[in-house]
Amino acid sequence: MANYLAQFQTIKSTCNHLIIAVEDVSDLWPTVKNSFEERLPFKRSCLNNKTRNPVFVENLPAEYILTTDARLRSRFPQEQYLFWFREPYATLVLVTCEDLDEFKTILKPRLKLIVQNDEREWFIVFVSRAHPNNDQATKMAKKVYAKLEVDFSSKKRERCCKFDIYAPEANFWEDLEARIMESVRNTLDRRIQFYEDEIRKLSEQRFMPIWNFCNFFILKESLAFMFEMAHLHEDALREYDELELCYLETVNMGGKRREFGGLDHGDDQAALLIPGNKSLTQIVQDDSFREFEFRQYLFACQSKLLFKLNRPFEVASRGYSFVISFSKVLALHESILPFCMREVWVITACLALVNATNSQYKEGTATPEIEREFYRLQGDLYSLCRVKFLRLAYLIGYGTEIERSPVNSASLSMLPWPKPAVWPLVPDEAASEVLLKEKMILQENPRVKHFGIQRKPLPLEPTALIREANRRRASLSAGNTSEMFDGKLGFADGSGSDASSKTSPSSKAQAISMSRTYSTPGNFEGSIDRPMRLAEIFVAAEHALKQTISNPDLLKTLSSIQDIEQKYMDLTKGAADNYHRSWWKRHGVVLDGEIAAVCFKRGNFDLAAKSYEKVCALYAGEGWQDLLAEVLPNLAECQKILNDQAGYLTSIVRLLSLDKGLFSVKERQAFQSEVVSLAHSEMKHPVPLDVSSLITFSGNPGPPLELCDGDPGTLSVTVWSGFPDEITLDSLTLTLMATYNADEGGKLRSSSATVLKPGRNTITFPLPPQKPGSYVLGVLTGHIGHLTFRSHSFSKAGPADSDDFMSYEKTTRPVLKVSKPRPLVDLSAAISSALLINEAQWIGIIAQPINYSLKGAVMHIDTGPGLKIEESHSIEMETYINAAQISTDMANSGDARKDDNENFEQLSLLDGKIEFPDWASNVTSILWIPIRAIDDKLARGSSSGAPQKQSIVDGMRTVALKLEFGISNNQIYDQTIALHFTNPFHVSTRVADQCNDGTLLLQVTLHSQVKATLTVNDAWLDLQDGFVHAGQDDGRPVSGFFPLVISPTSRAGLLFRVCLGNGTALDENKAQPESILNISYRIAGDRTIGAHPPVAAKSNEIEGTSQDLIFRSALILQRPVLDPCLAVGFLPLPSDGLRVGQLVTMKWRVERLKDIEESRVPQTNDDVLYEVNANSKNWMIAGRKRGHVSLSTKQGSRIFISILCMPLNAGYVHPPHLGLPDIDEANISCSPAGPHLVCVLPPALSSSFCIPA
Amino acid sequence: MTTTACFIIVSRNDIPIYEAEVGSAAKREDAAQLPQFILQAALDIVQDLAWTTSAMFLKAIDKFNDLVVSVYVTADRTRFMLLLDSRSDDGIKSFFQEVHELYIKSLLNPLYLPGSRITS
Repeated sequence: MANYLAQFQTIKSTCNHLIIAVEDVSDLWPTVKNSFEERLPFKRSCLNNKTRNPVFVENLPAEYILTTDARLRSRFPQEQYLFWFREPYATLVLVTCEDLDEFKTILKPRLKLIVQNDEREWFIVFVSRAHPNNDQATKMAKKVYAKLEVDFSSKKRERCCKFDIYAPEANFWEDLEARIMESVRNTLDRRIQFYEDEIRKLSEQRFMPIWNFCNFFILKESLAFMFEMAHLHEDALREYDELELCYLETVNMGGKRREFGGLDHGDDQAALLIPGNKSLTQIVQDDSFREFEFRQYLFACQSKLLFKLNRPFEVASRGYSFVISFSKVLALHESILPFCMREVWVITACLALVNATNSQYKEGTATPEIEREFYRLQGDLYSLCRVKFLRLAYLIGYGTEIERSPVNSASLSMLPWPKPAVWPLVPDEAASEVLLKEKMILQENPRVKHFGIQRKPLPLEPTALIREANRRRASLSAGNTSEMFDGKLGFADGSGSDASSKTSPSSKAQAISMSRTYSTPGNFEGSIDRPMRLAEIFVAAEHALKQTISNPDLLKTLSSIQDIEQKYMDLTKGAADNYHRSWWKRHGVVLDGEIAAVCFKRGNFDLAAKSYEKVCALYAGEGWQDLLAEVLPNLAECQKILNDQAGYLTSIVRLLSLDKGLFSVKERQAFQSEVVSLAHSEMKHPVPLDVSSLITFSGNPGPPLELCDGDPGTLSVTVWSGFPDEITLDSLTLTLMATYNADEGGKLRSSSATVLKPGRNTITFPLPPQKPGSYVLGVLTGHIGHLTFRSHSFSKAGPADSDDFMSYEKTTRPVLKVSKPRPLVDLSAAISSALLINEAQWIGIIAQPINYSLKGAVMHIDTGPGLKIEESHSIEMETYINAAQISTDMANSGDARKDDNENFEQLSLLDGKIEFPDWASNVTSILWIPIRAIDDKLARGSSSGAPQKQSIVDGMRTVALKLEFGISNNQIYDQTIALHFTNPFHVSTRVADQCNDGTLLLQVTLHSQVKATLTVNDAWLDLQDGFVHAGQDDGRPVSGFFPLVISPTSRAGLLFRVCLGNGTALDENKAQPESILNISYRIAGDRTIGAHPPVAAKSNEIEGTSQDLIFRSALILQRPVLDPCLAVGFLPLPSDGLRVGQLVTMKWRVERLKDIEESRVPQTNDDVLYEVNANSKNWMIAGRKRGHVSLSTKQGSRIFISILCMPLNAGYVHPPHLGLPDIDEANISCSPAGPHLVCVLPPALSSSFCIPA
Repeated sequence: MTTTACFIIVSRNDIPIYEAEVGSAAKREDAAQLPQFILQAALDIVQDLAWTTSAMFLKAIDKFNDLVVSVYVTADRTRFMLLLDSRSDDGIKSFFQEVHELYIKSLLNPLYLPGSRITS
């Protein structure tokens, strides 16, 4: 049956659509052919798939073939069965007839014959050639068709349809398509059934020795092919999948050792997408196929179907796993395959897959998940290809050019070397090339890492190539044992393992002999004793590869370092782009790093820096410091070359802030010196540098520093330096941030250069006064040379965990609290009651610190007007103990009051300032200041008749105090203290009695004004003019009464006898207008309470005596008012009363009571000026209001003054008043004595007066 | 033939918070970052896979030549990643469960900030 394979292939290639046979009974086909064929392919059809489920197929291609055609005639029945899929799927019988008889006699039997003897699916198309205008013919045709239908159609199935050539019915074509489809469907079902049965039969025999995979394959593929013809791609795909499974099962069946294949020229190029790469007959082997080619063929068929199904994604995903698994298979057979065949195959396979799927893939058609997956697969394919390509490049000696990055190292160092049976040998003629390579190896200088980082380069090779290659060669000569050993080793290496241990040495040897990779055994024998040098290995590998690789493009890419680099770049870029598109950012970014490396090598530093930045950002963002340490130096180098100083510095700072274990001390020192040298060099654009990760700071542990408003202070801050060495900061500034508002607080400056040790440093900043609030540390800025740096980060305890993402969420502890303004000190007067005026008095000022030290405080004293400090006396200061405190002290400790608690000091006033002693800084103290209030006025006594209150304001004096205190005397407390000064006495007088002899008893009452005991020692009265002391004494009270003690706020009285004297004092020079009371007294009082004995001069104090004080008070004695001169009497009004609007005459009588003495009254003639005053609202006055009347100066003379008035308002009103302006009121006696009222009645009702409303 | 394994706990923010080299073999000096590199790249796969299953243990998600990456995702998206050159799912799974318990214990420590480095 396998013989049919070739035939099967040709059939497959010629026939790729359904065939519909046309049985042209009445020779009609040529006429209708065109109209039939132009309706192909079938637009829509419904077919059953393998599981008998309807599937809708669109655009199904088909071909009409006449049964008389040679293609349908010349087949043997057996052939027909085997390749049944190419047989017609429907038979269309084309008839016409215009006569019923003819139909019955000729056509019907013939049709019966056609229909009967075949199991074909058939149906009849009756073609009516009747012209529509020809009724007769039309009718006839209809009749015949009706007959035809009766005869051939059944109820179950319509098998006829009618086609009018001239006027085809509208639904004819639909009918026809439906008929054809019905037939096709039925045929298809039947054939599927048939194939399935056959396949089942065959697969039952699968484990029998006679079983032939080729037969099974032909059947299976026929079925698949039939599905494909019917556009049932899904089913076809399933068949291929099953076929693959079945094949893998049989190929893995033990026992038979088959040829693997892959030894032909061109096999190194993967053909996994080209089904027709090799004809199947070429790869058939015994009863099966060679694995190498056949699996690729199957995959190609599958991918072709998948592309038809528009599923390029699946091609990629299946392709990737196929490449992986096939690569493993290749590894199994590596010893018989050409050198590095596996690598080359994978490269070509990946590229083919990538290209094919990419060209088929339309973006946006699939769901986002699928799309991402697709790009990921593309990336995977690219990177797989890339790794293999790197391996090849290494093998031919370009290993030194490969960047030893983690990604390359990871992929290459664990990838086993190719394991050819024997390592290729250096061809004879290649000596010059060996030399060249050797030279290259020698010239090549190891890549120096930047900053002199000493790091063992990452490996690119699983084991040393030189050893591997030589061992491979030696193993052959050493014999089986080492080969066995080698096999075991290879097996243990893992998945990409070598031939299994089952491989017998003999078969291996045979395989080796088949290998084309070494030239002659003789040569091999000759070089066995000398191990190959590395250059030789490279050259040998290159030659072997040249033989392996058939693709000129690939060969070219490996021919020179530039080509390799270019290809490498393409692959890396492809992988990176696709990974990025698939959101596998880590894969993508890592490959970006590789691109950067190449860019760097090519001198394209700009691109390199950009890519490196991406990589660094990823690693830094995720905190993979080991990996970051690998890439960051490269970025830094790029930036250095690009003269990107900001970036360069940032990179170095990042390098420095990496884990300390990642770089040696020396390397870190190199970083630092780089920073410092750059900082001190000329920088064109000074850049701010963020060193948050390197220099961190925190407040000192413990409670925050508390300051009062306006106070400066010093703040000590812990600064952690991550620099490996000491570093000198030229300046350092730290900002404070208020916690509850966004304002930036003050700045702390440390002006002098600061040297930061590695690790912990404590730096003390002077703190200027801050606004109230609590503050946290803000930003640390400073200068290193020309470089400005900033650090935002603050750490709680130290630099550890600085990469911790949570650190920003930590609430920072305030380092400084500045309290709101509050009274820090209180100054108040210690005295509550009045002091003596005009005497030196102590005023006490209590200075009470309120939780604040008064150390170094200075008090400015500014006395107000009328007050001066007695400079002759020193100022006393002592601890203040108030009364309540004393009492509790007494209660607590009895009389054992501690004297050491009290302080006393005498201070002196300098320029109006007093400096507080130290002991007064925290205790309440009292300051006694000698002071004198000056009042030039004499005290005035008052008479008892009108007791006038002495104004308090007169005795008020103020002292303005200004206390400067605080740490730098920055706090100022202003207080103005009011002091009350007073005379010791207030004097009031009264005439106690007037004796008949003209003697007056003058009582003088002394009111004590102070809270002190006053002792009056003497008192005398200097009388004013007009008064003399009665009797001949000097006006002193009887001395026996003295001393007179007056308690605080009590009163005492003195009695003086005076009488009116006439001109006794005229001889004196000065007329004394007032009497003066002189009182000599002493005062006994406590200065803490109020008035007290005046401050004595020092000399007097020593004597212990105090002088009597003299108090003088002026008294005014008035001569008594004896007699009025004139009397004014208001005469009674008419008895019927006053009425509004009625005129009335007011009358006054003026009478002279006594003679006018010329000296008293300044009146020269006898005229008396009078004036009538009346409220004009109430009274209308007719006549003269003011005038002179003549009044005789004789006693008893009288006149009447009358005025006509009219009351205007009703009610009780004051009547008009007669006044005598020229005469002192004291000399007028009025009757009635005071103002009085009169009653005015309302007007009579009949009155025609208009009364104002 | 040596057994090497690298175990890393990666926080939800992709930051490694615990690293340990376990295994009998002496660490290859020159390949220090390889496990890190492989595990880091595997995070890409984890991000895809973690949402496809409700199980915490994702089994072997990636193979790098002969090294296998196994991952266990906790409820807060912390990932335990183990790079191992031999696979026995059951053993790895029980290892992960044990680690998970320990991890929860350390989370419950009031002094431990979630997401910061685990130091012991």
